Amino acid sequence: MFAPPIDRLITEFARLPGIGQRTAQRLAFYVLRLSPEQALPLAEAIREVKESVGLCEICFNLAVGPRCRICEDERRDADVICVVEEPSDVIPIERTHEWRGRYHVLGGALSPIDGIDPEDLHLEELARRVESGAVREVVVATNSTTTGEATALHIADLLRERAPQAAVTRLASGLPVGADLEYADEITLGKAFQGRRAL
Amino acid sequence: MARPVTVRRVQLRDFRNYERARLDLAAGVTVISGPNGAGKTNLLEAIYFGLTGRSCRTSNEREMVRHGGSVTRVALETEDEAGAHLLEAGFEPGETKRLRVDGALVEGLANSTARPLVSVFMPERLELVRGAPSARRAHLDQLVTALWPGRAPTRASYARALAQRNALLARVRAGIVAAELLDPWDAELARHGAQLMSDREQAVAAIAESFAARARELGLPQSAEVTYRRRSRATDGEGLRAELEARRATDLARGFSGHGPHRDDLALSHDGRPLRAFGSQGQQRVALLALLLAERDALAEIDRSPLMLLDDVMSELDSERRERLGALLGEGGQVVVTATDAERVPVSSLGALATELLA
Repeated sequence: MFAPPIDRLITEFARLPGIGQRTAQRLAFYVLRLSPEQALPLAEAIREVKESVGLCEICFNLAVGPRCRICEDERRDADVICVVEEPSDVIPIERTHEWRGRYHVLGGALSPIDGIDPEDLHLEELARRVESGAVREVVVATNSTTTGEATALHIADLLRERAPQAAVTRLASGLPVGADLEYADEITLGKAFQGRRAL
Repeated sequence: MARPVTVRRVQLRDFRNYERARLDLAAGVTVISGPNGAGKTNLLEAIYFGLTGRSCRTSNEREMVRHGGSVTRVALETEDEAGAHLLEAGFEPGETKRLRVDGALVEGLANSTARPLVSVFMPERLELVRGAPSARRAHLDQLVTALWPGRAPTRASYARALAQRNALLARVRAGIVAAELLDPWDAELARHGAQLMSDREQAVAAIAESFAARARELGLPQSAEVTYRRRSRATDGEGLRAELEARRATDLARGFSGHGPHRDDLALSHDGRPLRAFGSQGQQRVALLALLLAERDALAEIDRSPLMLLDDVMSELDSERRERLGALLGEGGQVVVTATDAERVPVSSLGALATELLA
């Protein structure tokens, strides 16, 4: 419909998550209106992030250089590991300032429908980390979805076999703190009921 | 608790045979009468569309648009304790539906608190009694959701886990991965499956007694029964997981999961024989009606009586049973009932409203 370079830009935008064809077109025309000094830094930022940011060789979190910030930080406890699905899951946990241990990023969750098998995740590396080091506890913080739960069960089985000395725990689920009951969705509230404790 | 939401007024535009129409509903029973072809059923369908954004008669929604019209629109004025609400549903073939609650666009009406639950009796719905078990399972799971909205996600979670396990069975069969990988999926499927079975068990228990009583009153003299027929005998997730594991070889040979609540059925029987296979059309109609009334009884206990839309429900009943049904309908909850002859709907005039359509 447009000149090939414009079509290419629209197609690229449309591949971004949450961007439909129409929004992609709007973004493309916005970029076209920008001056080169305004538009090129975007391209440059994309190039730079792809060239300099890779995965940590230990935990597979995002890293500039061979290891991530957290794995290089000597003050972080190396004997407790929190397992998450994606690098973006590390950020909310870090924001709590409650977790002083290390991480292990799986790079997804088991999903036979999508053809994602254990070899496609960093599970073998996790098992090796746990069996070789003095790891006391592994906290499984995969998502509370079907795929996340199945992945958690798989990790529990795997570590029971490979590293029986380590305790495997799962994050609790329940009510958001500080929120009113009336705003909690039924699923969360139901889970909170199942996990209630004596006062 | 709050009294259920009632529908006060229905307005339609370019819906089926109607160019424009307006209908006021009673808080109790509303009778719509008129000759065949006058559009009685269309009014019920319009109310259903206004409440859900879907048709209860057809999957081809274009049929709802009046011939010669391009957009169909239904607006319902409802009322709860807090006051009045306006539900609007608009449909134009090829466009996304426009659903609004009190003027604000919404993606679906199912979770709106501005509408009552709805229960439909139409000839097409006899499929529920005589058709395949899948329709009855879906119906039973809807009852679970109506009784305990917090349990709605269980069915979807189970379906997702099942799809994953089936996909994995195929990958194991193809030799891509090892059979041990089924372990976590068995556990995940069993966890949701046990929950689903227990929810269904409780929902059937909530309607069983009332179903038997309503069926007897309306014309199934031998004991009529509704039961949850389940394959698994497990009482918890661990039990179901063990059953799945024991059947793994069979499942691998067949390539799909042959055991679990996705194969269960809601069994309706009369005199010990399944109505699905042995019931006459009249008996099946009574069974469907008794099922819907039993559900209303259970929902009334938690103040969530549904709006009942009953199409031509009296025609095959004798006068004694018509009297009985009329009395039952008058007992509570909002009902819209159609008949070719208003005289044949014996509802007390109290709180009732009759609308006569002219062909």
